[in-house]
Amino acid sequence: MQEPELHDLSDDADYAASLQQGSTSMMLRSDSVKSSSSREPEGAELVYTRDNVAIHPSSLASERISGRLKLIKQNSSLFMTWIPYKGHGSTAKLSEKDTNLYSIRAVPVSDIRSIRRHAPPLGWQYIIIVLSSGLAYPPLYFYNGGVKEFIGTIKQHVFLTRSAEDVNLFLVNDFQDPLQKTLSSLELPRAIPLAYGPSNISVDESTLVEVQGSGVNDGSSSAFHHQGRPRNKVHDPARDLSIQVLEKFSRVTKFARETTTQLFSEHHGNGYDPNYRRTNIHTPAVPGHPKKSSSVGGKVPHESPASGNSEFDELSLIWGKPRQPPLGYEEWISFLDSEGRVTDLNALRKRIFYGGLDHELRKEVWGLLLGYHSHDSTYAEREYLKSVKKSEYETIKNQWKSISLAQAKRFTKFRERKGLIEKDVVRTDRSIGFYDGDDNPNVNVLRDILLTYSFYNFDLGYCQGMSDLLSPILYVMDDESEAFWCFVALMERLGPNFNRDQNGMHSQLFALSKLVELLDGSLHNYFKQNDCLNYFFCFRWILIQFKREFQYEKTMQLWEVLWTHYLSEHLHLYLCVAILKRYRNKIIGEEMDFDTLLKFINELSGHIDLDATLRDAEALCICAGENGAACIPPGTPPSLPLDDGLLYSQQDDEVL
Amino acid sequence: MSYAYLFKYIIIGDTGVGKSCLLLQFTDKRFQPVHDLTIGVEFGARMITIDNKPIKLQIWDTAGQESFRSITRSYYRGAAGALLVYDITRRETFNHLASWLEDARQHANANMTIMLIGNKCDLAHRRAVSTEEGEQFAKEHGLIFMEASAKTAQNVEEAFIKTAASIYKKIQDGVFDVSNESYGIKVGYGGIPGPSGGRDGSSSQSGACCS
Ligand SMILES: Nc1nc2c(ncn2[C@@H]2O[C@H](COP(=O)(O)OP(=O)(O)O)[C@@H](O)[C@H]2O)c(=O)[nH]1
Ligand SMILES: [Mg+2]
Repeated sequence: MQEPELHDLSDDADYAASLQQGSTSMMLRSDSVKSSSSREPEGAELVYTRDNVAIHPSSLASERISGRLKLIKQNSSLFMTWIPYKGHGSTAKLSEKDTNLYSIRAVPVSDIRSIRRHAPPLGWQYIIIVLSSGLAYPPLYFYNGGVKEFIGTIKQHVFLTRSAEDVNLFLVNDFQDPLQKTLSSLELPRAIPLAYGPSNISVDESTLVEVQGSGVNDGSSSAFHHQGRPRNKVHDPARDLSIQVLEKFSRVTKFARETTTQLFSEHHGNGYDPNYRRTNIHTPAVPGHPKKSSSVGGKVPHESPASGNSEFDELSLIWGKPRQPPLGYEEWISFLDSEGRVTDLNALRKRIFYGGLDHELRKEVWGLLLGYHSHDSTYAEREYLKSVKKSEYETIKNQWKSISLAQAKRFTKFRERKGLIEKDVVRTDRSIGFYDGDDNPNVNVLRDILLTYSFYNFDLGYCQGMSDLLSPILYVMDDESEAFWCFVALMERLGPNFNRDQNGMHSQLFALSKLVELLDGSLHNYFKQNDCLNYFFCFRWILIQFKREFQYEKTMQLWEVLWTHYLSEHLHLYLCVAILKRYRNKIIGEEMDFDTLLKFINELSGHIDLDATLRDAEALCICAGENGAACIPPGTPPSLPLDDGLLYSQQDDEVL
Repeated sequence: MSYAYLFKYIIIGDTGVGKSCLLLQFTDKRFQPVHDLTIGVEFGARMITIDNKPIKLQIWDTAGQESFRSITRSYYRGAAGALLVYDITRRETFNHLASWLEDARQHANANMTIMLIGNKCDLAHRRAVSTEEGEQFAKEHGLIFMEASAKTAQNVEEAFIKTAASIYKKIQDGVFDVSNESYGIKVGYGGIPGPSGGRDGSSSQSGACCS
């Protein structure tokens, strides 16, 4: 992981192996030794492979993640895969895990909306792929060429047409959808008014500096014999490219900001605010961005004489996919092989992302979503783990169970923790049938699990809010040991929320403020002027994953959606933005100050429409794209911590 | 509903001493032994009458656990009154008073009125802190003091109102510039301008956040 960078690809076994393969069609089984990261199922045929296809995760040309692009044919479907090289394919200062987040794993080509080819006069060819969901992948740079073959191969397998408007735009499965064209055409890095440049990217630059630290001057360009040259060299093609990428991002950002603002002000009369007006005077014209220009779609011909309000139709197209019914048993089984392994994890995550789970399935699926069970475990393996973990749980539990009265008398920390937990479990969800009534045994189980957890993770201990997170888990698992281990898995990610120094919370609140700045500049300015930039009013949302904002059932549904980590690990932050944007006009219009805002946000509890908000959050996440991701520093919960030193700063115990 | 003044209160003290119950007893006149623990801050509001003037109390109830202090501290700003609560049956909650007081003094405005409440006085048989000790502590630190019970409602009304009366008196004495909202006071309609301060018409906030 500390591997500085790659100067010569020939020492990469993966790369070397691929060279022997060439890029012609061949059976996958002859594929190389190291296929650990991309295991193609039997019977799949590799129809295209190209090495040294890279993305630039940041605006810096020197930051590059290289990998291998493949097209795989299975049955009659074609899938696209791009996997970064293991270990040293990346010159970006990202961990292996972060690098892997960029992986494109077996995306059905039929899910692709368009492919745009870019062949700049200087520099390398690249393509931008936009999915039918509106999601655009980062540009893929073909450092070894091969764009033409890539498109040619696709053309052999799916219906591919060239756009009438733009010879470099290829449309997969003909579509008549003007908005998607809009999105696609957005990717075009040409004719960008200079004014949009630097001002729009300032956020990213500052964030990038933080994120990348010293990774800037690593001579990665040496692979192209540019080593040691000043980065601002006039004719550095890589630099030109990076500028184009930046420009593209700034346009996307601008689009995102304006589109989302417009959508929220025009299509979210949600009935909560009786003073809501349809044509809202508060719709901000972002300074320097006259609103007219936001309708990039304006220049797109409306081919389909669609129903009445074409603007609405157009905008609603990207506004998050409709939610689906929860995943039911029959369909769930279809995601498993005969022995119970999840065959296509990504498809499963996607399915759950869009609809959640039937309640009966939660018990089985939550453990997988949380990573307690591995997705490629079999039924039998899961049963086995369950029994092993049960006795492990009992062992840990016995550590405090066996503390005698005399011992406890001399063990203040234990007594205090136990006292705190006992006080809190009787104040957790007692209105839910599962926990109600006097001497409810489930309340005691809550206590036992939390106390056991505080021994399992003694450094973190117990903190208020944990019982809120555990309650639905115990309710779903209905088994003490299973609930404990699922809770452990959840706390692997959310533990920093409860750090004594609150650093996990602060980093999320910080990322949230950056996201609002990116997606709603004028709301950001409003918060800034009113001394609300600490975003403490979102504290409860983030600390316990919106547990107090929704009905119990809705909370469970939201959690499983968040836990898929589909689209983003940090969807919860986009959810915050989505809610704030819904009420932005009210907040600004009523000139809410810190107190009033906090009160207002608290009182939203029970009034938030989950499905609609999730759709908003999805759309915001897609619109924000890479710029959004760049707002969120690595290691921000629920991302795993960057280094695996001490997970938690030692907590001084407390009774306050 | 309109008011002559709005006072902002904050309730602080160790977790489990009964802060949320006191608030609920005051705002809803009921004791709900089973309710959810407080995450972050919660709100309550009620109108009272002092000197024939309608006064709105806006009360912030905070989470007591130490980890949240860095957050809850920011809510002290602009509070006119604080209820500092301990549990008479748990000695340690009394022992922590000094640290709470230090926090309040550091983060709240200097003229904030602080009421010390020894809660759960219905549990006299389990008493771990004597009334005299409570009185003594209050005296030493210049606080108003009462023992109360959120369960029986004993002294709950009195505690909130006595605090308000003290704030009201300070306004009359000209301690506050009531036009400056950082003192946790807003002037509503027809409020009596303090000798040093606001005019009737000075407030544009009248009824702004009434509920
Ligand atoms: N007997 C008795 N119990 C109380 C009283 N006030 C609160 N409680 C109990 O103390 C527990 C904690 O109260 P709560 O208001 O949640 O404490 P907070 O953490 O300070 O907000 C609850 O279970 C209440 O039932 C009281 O005056 N008398
Ligand atoms: Mg409370």
